[in-house]
Amino acid sequence: MTYDIYLVGVGGQGVLTLGDLIVRAAINKGIAVNFFPTKGMAQRGGFVKAELRLGRTPVGPHIQEKGAQLVIAMECSEALKGVRYAQPGGDFLLYGHVWEPTAVMLGETAYPSLESVLEAIRGSNAQLIYVDPKELPKIDGGYVATNIFVLGAVFGNTRLGEVLNADKMAEVVQARWPRRAEHNVAAFDAGLRVRGTP
Amino acid sequence: MTTRILTGNGALARGALRAGVKVVTGYPGTPSTGVLSALLDMDLFERHVEWSINEKVALEIAAGAAWAGKKAMCTMKMSGLNVAYDSLISLAYSGVNGALVVYVADDPGVSAGMAEQDSRGFAIMADLPMFEASSVQQAYQLAQVAFELSKKVGGIVFLRLVASVANAVAAIEVEESLPPEPRGPILERNIAKYTKAGSAICMAQHRNAISRLEQAAQIIDEMKINRLELSSNTGGLGIVTVGVVDAYLEEAYEIGSRYGFSRDDVSLLHVVTTSPFPTSSVRTLLGHCGTILVLEELEPYMEKGIYLEAQRTGYTGQIVGKINGPLSRVGEYDVTHVLRGIDAALGLGIPEKRLEKSTAAEKLAAKRPITVCAGCPHRGTYMAINQAVQNLKLNKDEVMVTGDIGCTILGMNPPFGTVWSEVSMGASVSLAQGYVYGEVTTPVIATIGDSTFFHAGIPGLLNAIQHQTPLTLIIMDNGWTSMTGMQVNPGTDKTFQRPGERRIDLAQVIPGLGVDQFFIIDPYDLKGATSIIEECLTLPGVKVVLSRRECAIQAMRRGKRAGRVRVIPDKCVLCKQCIIVTGCPALSIGESSVSIDPALCNGCSLCCAVCPTGALTKEEV
Repeated sequence: MTYDIYLVGVGGQGVLTLGDLIVRAAINKGIAVNFFPTKGMAQRGGFVKAELRLGRTPVGPHIQEKGAQLVIAMECSEALKGVRYAQPGGDFLLYGHVWEPTAVMLGETAYPSLESVLEAIRGSNAQLIYVDPKELPKIDGGYVATNIFVLGAVFGNTRLGEVLNADKMAEVVQARWPRRAEHNVAAFDAGLRVRGTP
Repeated sequence: MTTRILTGNGALARGALRAGVKVVTGYPGTPSTGVLSALLDMDLFERHVEWSINEKVALEIAAGAAWAGKKAMCTMKMSGLNVAYDSLISLAYSGVNGALVVYVADDPGVSAGMAEQDSRGFAIMADLPMFEASSVQQAYQLAQVAFELSKKVGGIVFLRLVASVANAVAAIEVEESLPPEPRGPILERNIAKYTKAGSAICMAQHRNAISRLEQAAQIIDEMKINRLELSSNTGGLGIVTVGVVDAYLEEAYEIGSRYGFSRDDVSLLHVVTTSPFPTSSVRTLLGHCGTILVLEELEPYMEKGIYLEAQRTGYTGQIVGKINGPLSRVGEYDVTHVLRGIDAALGLGIPEKRLEKSTAAEKLAAKRPITVCAGCPHRGTYMAINQAVQNLKLNKDEVMVTGDIGCTILGMNPPFGTVWSEVSMGASVSLAQGYVYGEVTTPVIATIGDSTFFHAGIPGLLNAIQHQTPLTLIIMDNGWTSMTGMQVNPGTDKTFQRPGERRIDLAQVIPGLGVDQFFIIDPYDLKGATSIIEECLTLPGVKVVLSRRECAIQAMRRGKRAGRVRVIPDKCVLCKQCIIVTGCPALSIGESSVSIDPALCNGCSLCCAVCPTGALTKEEV
């Protein structure tokens, strides 16, 4: 079994942590893992991607084009940078958060419409799963951790759930931050229950 | 044996500990930083680990320890090797007593900015062995082999990783660390070995360096570190891979099989040491194969060596690689490059579309130029420079502001457009002097960060003082080596210096150098900072401005904020001036007013300073 996951988003969204959690779940299951995160230079607000390859030895760090069985995108515009890696017939989960760069706010440059992003994803012939950011729940008056919610949505909506077990994934989330375990598991469960749209 | 989740850098650090390393020095630089930071995070007994002031100093410290008979390691990114190289060549001639391993990380594809420097060339030039790992696990193993070889031959050994191995994460098997050998120091007085006193000594040392490399080649051959796998039939394809490229072969074979590729007659030489050149393995491969394909990122060092052996052995087959065309010297390789090579070598006729990148979708993505973080003190400095230039009725396009390495270079990007150039550590200060002698009549400004100034900026400033070159140097002192992930430098607050170490205060150092004018500004105080920079631009001589405020990311991590900025919606007219001038990521446009992300805002209040209607206000915390 080999399974490649391409992750994209913006620095500060927790994309790399999301990938790291999957890494731990896979290692717990005895699956060979190679995880290659690429941060930009900015602490926050820059493009972030990561390539997660399961079940390969030896393993090249980079996923080939049209090679990822799963693309996870946490930001609308950055999702476009994952499109060429999506495998036809694979899964492409887009959490449609919009993080506008300053130049867009000032009207100096365009931000792609949601429809054009969805169209590009559909064009890859991967199965689109769109999760509306409005689905992000609140607990105790505050929003839950977005990346944990998205991780839950990935397990509830894509075939990663056939490779790794959702309950075991929840255990990893719990163990990672013991003091926020309850809160994070609630975020994960909310994601599991959410139904993405094609 | 225990299983650990490690990066390539983390694995290399563990390998060095297993080898019993005593002294580790380095200077931060992506993608090499993770080795030394991993060691500093551990509670290490009887070992010395430090971030040194620059790579040259770091290497000399490690060499001194190795000359004293200890096992030492020095870490740096490719640009750092250029800084250290003066000493490295000299040390390569002398050799070492204990062991000295130099780790350098290269970055094909430039994921972290600078150059596609292939540091294998430096190993070749210095007659030094260089090991290159193709996986996280191999980084762990080769670190140990490198120490062993260094000790055996009495010379420096290089370790090289590329970014995609250095920063990749995998679960690997590691053994317990071993303590450094308890042996006391060696003090060897030997002019012929430790000095360069005269041509006879230097040429003898050169001869010794060459013979150490020959000895290393023999040991490496015996250890079968470069892996040769010959097919049962002769006359087939021989593939030579260097480093990480090897890890893509299986995938390429699988895809190639759809186009009629068969691995049956394929032989393989996986190269771990481009230096020393694996001559006998290459000759065996040439004797066995009808065509040779060389797969190596960046420079064709292996490929050129293979041409040489082909000439010497009378090989008549084809050698496919960069020199005859199909592969590039630019960028990082993945499975597509391997396929392209196999296709060119065997004429499989893989459609060009399969080998090209399809970038149509990502061209639609919004541009996201990197900028400084919310609350970054550098923002205030760029704004003050721009404002000072404007106040003096100078045209911004006529005021040269040289830039330097690190976060301070982000002033080149919008909305600031302040900084013009980026060359190397410390170059801003000397470049500025060149502009003065290039007859620029407007004020010349140089900008540099604190760590960069310590690293290589001080000689440039001393030069300006001696020659009385009129310029304004602005040192943006945020107290940390920030861009590489917050390392402690000599100027970092004493709270964060290690026990028994001392902080060096730039505010005391610079006046002692003899500058004509020295000022300290707070970059959060836009008005005050602007007026001082403005004054400097009209004064003669060498002016230094120390723009001082702690990195906001570090301050916020300790819950320290400058204040809290609030929007008074009734007063906001949505002129966007705050966003246009500051470009702060905490600001966005709401429905009827700008809004502030309270989680990001540090309360620097630079936005308040530019709001024309008083709609932004700072509250103390």
